[in-house]
Amino acid sequence: MKVRTYMSREGTLPPGFIKSVRRIIGDEHFSQQEGDLISYSLDYWLYGVFLSQKGDLPALPSAVISPASVAQIQEIVRCAGRYEVPITPFGGGSGVLGGAIPLEGSVVLNLQRMNKFLNLDALSLVAEFEAGTMGANLELELNNRGYSAGSIPQSLYCSTLGGWVSTRAAGQFSTKYGKIEDMVLGMEVVLPDGNLLNIKPVPRRSVGPSLKDLFLGGEGTLGIVTRATISIHPLPGLTIRQSFIFPSIEVAVNVVRQILRAEARPAVVRIFDEVESGRYFPGIGRKVVAIFISEGEAEYTAIDARVIRRISGENGGESSGEEPVDIWLQKRFDIGLGPVLMQYGGIVDTIEVSALFKDAARVYRDMVAAMKAVEGVLEVSGHYSHFYREGVCLYITFAGIPKDPLRYYQDTWDAAMKATLQNNGSISHHHGIGFWRIQYLEQELGASGVKLLKSIKNALDPEGILNRGKLIDGGRQ
Amino acid sequence: MAEDSKEAEKIARCAMCADMCKYGCPTYLATGRETLSPQKMARLIVYNEKGFLDDEKGFLDLMFQSAMCGACSRHCIYDDYDLRKFIHEARVKAFVKGVIPEDVRQRVDTFRKFGNPSGERDIIDRGTGDTGYFISCSSYKDEDLLKAAEKMLSKSGLAVRRFGGGDICCGAPLYYVGDMEGFRQAALRMKVEIETRRLRSIVVDCPTCVKMMTEIYREIGVELGVEVMHTTQLMGSLLKQRRLRSRKEKKTVTFHDPCILSYDLAMSDIPRQVITALGFSLREPVYSGEHTHCCGGAYGAKIGDRRLKDAVTSMRLNELRQTAADIYVTACPTCKSVLSEINMKYITELVAERIIAKR
Repeated sequence: MKVRTYMSREGTLPPGFIKSVRRIIGDEHFSQQEGDLISYSLDYWLYGVFLSQKGDLPALPSAVISPASVAQIQEIVRCAGRYEVPITPFGGGSGVLGGAIPLEGSVVLNLQRMNKFLNLDALSLVAEFEAGTMGANLELELNNRGYSAGSIPQSLYCSTLGGWVSTRAAGQFSTKYGKIEDMVLGMEVVLPDGNLLNIKPVPRRSVGPSLKDLFLGGEGTLGIVTRATISIHPLPGLTIRQSFIFPSIEVAVNVVRQILRAEARPAVVRIFDEVESGRYFPGIGRKVVAIFISEGEAEYTAIDARVIRRISGENGGESSGEEPVDIWLQKRFDIGLGPVLMQYGGIVDTIEVSALFKDAARVYRDMVAAMKAVEGVLEVSGHYSHFYREGVCLYITFAGIPKDPLRYYQDTWDAAMKATLQNNGSISHHHGIGFWRIQYLEQELGASGVKLLKSIKNALDPEGILNRGKLIDGGRQ
Repeated sequence: MAEDSKEAEKIARCAMCADMCKYGCPTYLATGRETLSPQKMARLIVYNEKGFLDDEKGFLDLMFQSAMCGACSRHCIYDDYDLRKFIHEARVKAFVKGVIPEDVRQRVDTFRKFGNPSGERDIIDRGTGDTGYFISCSSYKDEDLLKAAEKMLSKSGLAVRRFGGGDICCGAPLYYVGDMEGFRQAALRMKVEIETRRLRSIVVDCPTCVKMMTEIYREIGVELGVEVMHTTQLMGSLLKQRRLRSRKEKKTVTFHDPCILSYDLAMSDIPRQVITALGFSLREPVYSGEHTHCCGGAYGAKIGDRRLKDAVTSMRLNELRQTAADIYVTACPTCKSVLSEINMKYITELVAERIIAKR
């Protein structure tokens, strides 16, 4: 194969392993074909995508294994344990931190055949899906029956439910409907020893530490999520779209703080800085714009929108109508500029962090300033995309056309992470760790936190079979 | 040259996109194989062009596994791009090099011998008028559909010339295997058949024929110089003008949108208007209209391997069955045949069964 790898090459699998796996799932679902190895070599870690255009891939899997049932996964995991073959679970391959890159000659466990809608309980407002169900397909199934999960990440069309669980994901409508950890009531997980863990769907329980939290953000290192039961919502009866122009980021953030304190719960709240507003809303230009979508039962929605309007107005917000919201709704999945820039040598990526309200504006200012100071920078911009009563998620996009791409990429990430940590922020709000962010993990969790995570990993997966080199063990190669 | 580099940029862009269209791709969904997702197909095409691949046969086999249904193009974030064009180019190169899969070669041989994909057939040519009803290869073997079309046309009072069979074919099977010279000959033959009959417009049951005769013929410089319409357009307008009147029915109908009709011809509303005009109530599957899935029989998939076709068909049958409708209807003779397990009807049959009188 003429593609080059810069982290690890495919390994040689024990013949006994290959024979056993072929027996478990059938010959056609075990592949070592060149096209398959290349297709499962990389997720959407953008520096890797940048390099991929020249045939440089981070790693190649030793094989791609595509099971169709949980029983098959259990057998495969046991078999991998016996032969000490590492496994990288692969959902939609949309993760942006390299969490699905098959390092160290791993085989890829492809979960995309497990993509079925299983059931919907309208009385309890829950629905169950297999983990390989793509977000958009999950929504189409629910919408057809009059419901929505309310989980609408930008990766809706290319990420899976299992991926959402494993990365502790969040969607654009999260301020009302919550993040994935608020939505998942139950799940089924294949543990590293091949045993099955069933966490039954109940609204809450007090039976010791929450086991499901081990896998919400486990990134496939502690178990393989095979199905999940999530909360659902009837499709909204009323939707009200509003937007306001504010004199500064500080004022806009403070307005949203007051709105949430007043118990309004808009589904969407986003504050765009001047650069992003200029890009999204040419009619408004480079000003700070906040958009709000209130939705749900008509009476509550009307009150919600009224509270937002009043507090925005009281704080100098100038209404800019529904149009910016409509523009955002149209453009929100459009990631088209990145691949264009990359063809011209551009490095593009996004970094999402979280902070309390008291630090929210300062994190933004410091991150942007530090990232703009890196040589090769073209643009740094930001928006706040998820809100809590206590604080925010800040989402920064950066682009550069540097002479030394890796240097620029590394320095920009270092600058962003340093500014976040100095302002008491968390290094990740919802993209997770993958392999790229491992280098900052100890600064986030402290030595004790990392040690504890490693202890958990060692207890569950002493041979390090699952998703080697991600989240916990190893680090950058 | 500038045009080539612009096109190369487009597919390179696709190869670095986040695969935001794969949720709609029927071959990807039915197999759960990332490699068949549009962005990965694009990456492999780029890699093949750049000489990064060793396994040419494996690559070409993949190129022949696309259904060519257009779901990726419909859901693409770029307005100026259709991945099928690049997959088709790869097929053309394979054809020129003579490295096409064996089952594909057999189809070409049949076509070369008989001038159509099915084998020996009689020529059909009857009726008069400057409107033609072209009996596509897929309609030719469907007696129920032809009987229904006959009834519908005669009740409409329109003067229609029926033609087809023999070696008259739009050439789609050759286009999809990459035989562009054969396709061009078929297109020119079609032009002669139309001109000889002095037709001003033609009606066709098969959405792929409509696509070929309009968009694709134009790309190779063949202009038929007639209006080409799909049968649902004709029936929709006849019902609207009350040239066709029908008995009303209260049953439920699920309409399966043929991929080419929905994605390329943007005709999702017209068949539904026809069905509801007959008094039926519609039941929509989860994947309908702009989210429809290929039946597995589209010309792209038909030449792929059997297992792939069966997986796509089985997925679509399950999706349709979930609606539990009284009647299943489509507007593509191939879809009808592929989905016969649920007693799929062509929409003309639905109309013809309920026509009560001439206008």
